Amino acid sequence: MRRSLAGRLWPNIVAVVLFVFFVFPVYWMVTTAFKPDLDIVSSTPVFFPVHATFAHFTKAVHAPGFWTFVRNSFTVTLGAVLLSLIVATLSAFAVARMRFKGRKAFILMIMMAQMAPWEVLTISVYLIVRDSDALNSLLPLTLFYMMMVLPFTVWTLRGFIAAVPKELEEAALVDGCTRFQAFIRVVLPLLAPGLMATSLFGYITAWNEYALVLILNKDSGATLTLWLTEFQTNFGDDWGATMAAASLFTLPVVVVFLIMQRRAGSGMTAGAVKG
Amino acid sequence: MAAQYRGTKTRGPDPAVTPPTAAAALTVAGSAGSGRPARPSGSGRAARFVPYLLLLPTLAATALLLGYPLVRNLLISFQTLEPFQLIQHTTEWNGFGNYTDQLTSSEFWHTAGRSVAFTLVNVVLIMVGGSLIGLLLNRLGKKMRLLLSIGLVFAWAMPYVAATTVYQWLFDTQNGVVNWGLNAVGWHSMHDYNWFSHQLSTFAVITLLVVWGSLPFVALNLFAGLTTVSAEIFEAARMDGAGAWRTFWQVVFPMLKPFFLSTTFLEIIWVFKAFTQVYALNAGGPEGLTETLPVYAYVEGFGNQHFGTGAAISMLTIVILAALMSYYFRVILKEEDEL
Amino acid sequence: MKRKLIGAIGVAGMMIGVAACGGSGGSDGKASGGDAGNTITVWLMSGSNPPNWTKQITAAYEKKYPGKKVKIAVQPWDGIQQKLTTALSESTPPDVIEVGNTQTPYYAQTGGLKALDSDKAALGASDWLPAMSKSAVFDGKQIAVPWYAASRVVIYNKKIWADAGITATPKTQDELFKDLGKIKAKGTKDAFYLPGQDWYAFDGLLLDAGADLVKKDGDTYKANLDTPQAAQAINLYKKLNSFGTAPKDKDEATPQQSDVFAKGDVGAFLGLGWEGAGALTKNPKLKDQIGYFPMPGKTADKTAAVFLGGSNLAISQGTKNPKGALNFLKLAMSDQFEGALAKEGGVVPNKAALNTNLQGNEFGTVSAAAAANGGTTPLIPEWGSVENAPNPITTLFMTGVLQGQSPSAAAQKADVEMDKRLSQK
Repeated sequence: MRRSLAGRLWPNIVAVVLFVFFVFPVYWMVTTAFKPDLDIVSSTPVFFPVHATFAHFTKAVHAPGFWTFVRNSFTVTLGAVLLSLIVATLSAFAVARMRFKGRKAFILMIMMAQMAPWEVLTISVYLIVRDSDALNSLLPLTLFYMMMVLPFTVWTLRGFIAAVPKELEEAALVDGCTRFQAFIRVVLPLLAPGLMATSLFGYITAWNEYALVLILNKDSGATLTLWLTEFQTNFGDDWGATMAAASLFTLPVVVVFLIMQRRAGSGMTAGAVKG
Repeated sequence: MAAQYRGTKTRGPDPAVTPPTAAAALTVAGSAGSGRPARPSGSGRAARFVPYLLLLPTLAATALLLGYPLVRNLLISFQTLEPFQLIQHTTEWNGFGNYTDQLTSSEFWHTAGRSVAFTLVNVVLIMVGGSLIGLLLNRLGKKMRLLLSIGLVFAWAMPYVAATTVYQWLFDTQNGVVNWGLNAVGWHSMHDYNWFSHQLSTFAVITLLVVWGSLPFVALNLFAGLTTVSAEIFEAARMDGAGAWRTFWQVVFPMLKPFFLSTTFLEIIWVFKAFTQVYALNAGGPEGLTETLPVYAYVEGFGNQHFGTGAAISMLTIVILAALMSYYFRVILKEEDEL
Repeated sequence: MKRKLIGAIGVAGMMIGVAACGGSGGSDGKASGGDAGNTITVWLMSGSNPPNWTKQITAAYEKKYPGKKVKIAVQPWDGIQQKLTTALSESTPPDVIEVGNTQTPYYAQTGGLKALDSDKAALGASDWLPAMSKSAVFDGKQIAVPWYAASRVVIYNKKIWADAGITATPKTQDELFKDLGKIKAKGTKDAFYLPGQDWYAFDGLLLDAGADLVKKDGDTYKANLDTPQAAQAINLYKKLNSFGTAPKDKDEATPQQSDVFAKGDVGAFLGLGWEGAGALTKNPKLKDQIGYFPMPGKTADKTAAVFLGGSNLAISQGTKNPKGALNFLKLAMSDQFEGALAKEGGVVPNKAALNTNLQGNEFGTVSAAAAANGGTTPLIPEWGSVENAPNPITTLFMTGVLQGQSPSAAAQKADVEMDKRLSQK
């Protein structure tokens, strides 16, 4: 049964329209960043940057403290992801492979924790960090970001661990491995896509976080999110530089997305959740 | 995750085989193939403590980094905490004062209503739009599917903060490309229109921003789910004379019900809590008319420096969110009984 | 340990807020080690400290007290109250802080500022102008010292005005509008750049119309925007705004109006001395092109009333280095540096005898003359709450009217919110 020409055509047309809808803001960000000022404020928008310039990127990169914020962002993001992977793998293994009293309660706790409205806990988080004299430090940020992604990480890894046939593990036990050795040698290698997928989620969450860093850190303790939101205050109506800054901020996420997507394979969609 | 779905390819569209798993709530990956846990194979007393030992770091982190802030927030919500108390480090209890103030203030109820409406509108748009795009992906040829997927991944990978900045630029009054475009197609009053000067137009931009960023998650996940529904099933449905509408409701929806359920709930949480997009875009303006509950809590707490009030608002926000999620909790509890 | 690291990174990061303003400066990050005993942190507000003054006072302090360092961090006005309140509650607050005169009572009431009564004399209190020192006293205690005062004047681009065929600066508001009309007719999009939320500028117009933002009602203050005078002032403001493309829902710092002016295609704006200087730094081509005149009144015999802005310096109650902080304060209050500030920044100094420093500073002369007809907001702690973001005067009243609401309708909304804040303890 052949569809009519129109019937075959419209999904493609819709797809192209949607493609433009999704890509345009990203495209506009990148092209604005490369456009000279005159093209940015011209009364008819310049859709293709023919006179590309790196001036805006230079300005953004030379903004005071930029490299400090880059380092801060990477430190807290990678720290949070690694910590949560370690902590979560332990409990995910317990939940997926063992039976014990309180298992159900634990699962429930994890699900509730996933819903934690961090955005409204800022006041108490501020006071806790202030009273432990740790404001403007990267450690509390790292820990709280770790906690933000921990429930999701536990949950996702539990699924991945459960998907590893336990016969494999049992075979290793028969061969004389301890439970721990069996985990390291058999389960962990098979978990790679799962770890990738989950870390992608953690990476995005921590990289994106705004509400907490807004109140906990300032000046040299700030991260790129804070820098970007204050960019307009700092650079006024210089949209070229602002878009260059936004592009620079987006770049690491896109890179990680592309790497992880390949590595994580099918796990991509599972992990790439924005929270 | 798609892999797990593919694993069920041979399965027919029998909803009984795939009960709504709350597992899918967090990730579809977690939902499929989670086998029954084995009994601890190690023997002896020590082995019994192993699971608890493994859980310990998670439990400790949760208690310290989530439990404590929650409790502390609850305590603050019963205090008068103004700049004076904050700077002097004194504690001044005022019972339910902060709560009665809020519960009797029209501003709070307006904000709460606005928050719920905002959440509903966004979630409906996201779920309906995302599902349609997912179905479209399933129908497209290979090349077009790749093209659209690339578009989706770009929107998906875009960090909120960057997206917010970009939308401010797109909707800029004087040089924004949106105003130019609307003017160009004949809507001349949009030339130099200030989107952020009215409640509805600001919400329109926020909604577009949120929906734009959330559609890819739903669409790509649904598509991954659809790949598990074999082509024969669609073929069979068509042979039976079922239209697209009936095919969706009678074949696709029942099979992927866990997915729809869990995604909807995830989106409710995400949209309700959305702070970055609302605050960084226009700080809840104009005139505080686009403040949602999280933004209101921040503005009252940190902006106006009534920290106790802010804490009370945030506790009320949590209660409202929990109420919105109560159905979800019921599903989980039911599900967990079967675990 | 983390703290040390951050200290080492130094002032560069602290300056992020001021990249765009002329008054940036400070030590260069050598203040490493973060040793609280040897380094004092000074928070100054964006636009207050001119570059040479900053360099010189830093050098003078470090020379006078060998081994000691001073770290000057410039803060943006936007969101400052929240930042300052939390900072004062922390274990290592900034040692010396600049506080706006209208906000001083608010901080005094929180107990976050150190009483300076015993050092008053050494700081030169006997010669302070009473009008300025008033805001530095709270409950009979000297909780801050008056630093400077300033009033806004019209800063204009002489070339644009001359190109429009205007030979003399306007003496009345009618003349001003006529001139702006001419400039606009010449094709200058921004004949006058006045963003919708510059409430200091509005307060000047309001004072000129003969009303105040609040009125005294027994022991308390009540919002007072729903008056014919306020309507007259905001209509005037709206008219000025309409001579340019300045955003109706932004203040003068987003973007910095001096940066906008620096582009060279703005006829005039209402600003302070550092903004003129900042524009010049940004665009040296404007040399000899920047002129100043006071905001004209309704008639030629008197210039318009102005909001008398000003700043005090205070020491935080929680400072870890009260002695160093006091030493810095003494230096800043000395005739040498107070005079240098007036000279470079064109601001009114705290002692009448230092006024000679204003000679030769064009902004300073115009501004000091205009300041004679200046007023301020009530010096009560509750006022600080009104200025907390979102400020009802700007977000509800000014932007509301500029975007088409009637002055009375917008005023009623703003008054409700202001009354709520004024009644809070």
